[in-house]
Amino acid sequence: MFPYDKATWEVVDGAMFMGWGGVLPGLATLIAAGICVAVLVIGQRSESAKARAFDK
Amino acid sequence: MEQQLAELAAKVAELEAAGGGAAITNTMFAETFYYVTIPLMILIHAGFLAYEMGASRLKNVLSSGVKNILAFAFVIPTFYFFGWWVYWGFPTGLPGAPGPAGISGVEYANAIAWGWGQSAQYMGPNIADQASGVFFGAFALFAATTASIMSGAVIERIQTVAFIILAVVLGSFAWVVAAAWGWHADGWLVTDWGVHDFGAAGLVHAVAGFFALGVLINLGPRIGKFNADGTANHIPGHNMPLTVVGLMLIIVGFWGFLMACVIVPGEAWSWFADKPSTIYGTPITLSALSFNILMAIAGGIIGAWIYTRDPFWMMSGALAGIISAASGLDIYFPALAFIVAFSAGVILKPCADWLEKRGIDDAVGAVTVHGTIGLYGVVMLGIWGSGYPALQGAAGEAPTISLMGQIIGAVVFFLLGFVPGYVCSFILKMAGMLRVPEGAELAGMDLVKVPASGYPEWGGDAPVTPAHPAE
Repeated sequence: MFPYDKATWEVVDGAMFMGWGGVLPGLATLIAAGICVAVLVIGQRSESAKARAFDK
Repeated sequence: MEQQLAELAAKVAELEAAGGGAAITNTMFAETFYYVTIPLMILIHAGFLAYEMGASRLKNVLSSGVKNILAFAFVIPTFYFFGWWVYWGFPTGLPGAPGPAGISGVEYANAIAWGWGQSAQYMGPNIADQASGVFFGAFALFAATTASIMSGAVIERIQTVAFIILAVVLGSFAWVVAAAWGWHADGWLVTDWGVHDFGAAGLVHAVAGFFALGVLINLGPRIGKFNADGTANHIPGHNMPLTVVGLMLIIVGFWGFLMACVIVPGEAWSWFADKPSTIYGTPITLSALSFNILMAIAGGIIGAWIYTRDPFWMMSGALAGIISAASGLDIYFPALAFIVAFSAGVILKPCADWLEKRGIDDAVGAVTVHGTIGLYGVVMLGIWGSGYPALQGAAGEAPTISLMGQIIGAVVFFLLGFVPGYVCSFILKMAGMLRVPEGAELAGMDLVKVPASGYPEWGGDAPVTPAHPAE
């Protein structure tokens, strides 16, 4: 995942994170955002179900 | 002409004076940088203190605190006496030969890390040495952190002196060997296998977590933890809010812990004149830390929340999030750090449950949070960070980060924690020093060990603090 052709720090003069210049950063951002949304959806569903149990 | 030359000479002198001032400013900044990490890391201990006391039952609250405070008090001087020497002496393993960077080996350690003879000039106030004391302080706080990690797992039944002996073995020896091998630029794990563990997920957290596991096997569970059929009972601590705030304090302290892992530029001992580096001499920025630590905290909390909904595990998830990304905080992309931390938060509770089903009573989940997740983080970096150069500078050629190298590092860190923890606690058990007698455990360790009461108004039989020792 080293974003430069030659595995040496001497060629690095800018971004040095994993996948820079490829699809990984964008894909990871999309997945991370998806996780946040999915967790909120799951959280809302399960908390609502538990709360409804107290209305019976 | 002469006047022009005089003006030129004055200008040169002025520039030289300005340059000297800049050098002094940089030196003062470098010294202050590490100095500030020390009180920040002491917040880790404030956090562990609150966390452990909150996780203890009312009858054990102060004895848990006493144990934690004493761990700090004994690890600091023993790290001064010999731990610092071990770190510099054995990066290349036995018998302590010097490494390629020229800052390791028994001879080098003898020259800088003993508190006597010529070496003592680097182990005390010295106007010509503005770095040794603050480096020592930062490392001593790493050492004390390992002891605090083990401390929470063994609450409510361990003997105080046995615990202190174990804390010294862990804090001033076991993790120090791991740091020498996997953190020092001359460490054989680094130079031979390209092991990269920037934020010490393996060499601090995993070593301390699995040391605790070795101790727990010999110490045994608290009375009442397990039923005859092997099922476990939950033993709640007396103050969950105190525990949760303690965990948050640990996270505050982690900023100092990780800050201390950065080598500042521009000094004789720096890797670079113009940019900060990791302890391996590879580049890093404080921005990288800010991006990735924050995203990892968030990922860990969210992962633990979706699985448990329990604030104790959510804040443990925050710790697990940082620890899971710690090895590569210098090179992770923030969203990737979030995903790794989220996965750590999700697997945290199932891993703790797995351990509990095997009869291990880890009162605060330290083995899982620090041990299991620490190794998880080391291996994760092997998956995502393969191909990165592991070293730079005087250490010369070194392998790149690889999955195989990270797995080997994880195995070594596991063994460096588990084996000394198991062996030392076994010896203490054979000597009858490890565990308090059953009657004392049932009565509560505060009543037995501490001449004070955490909550004196609660209950007529609570021990009362005497106004004077003679009373």
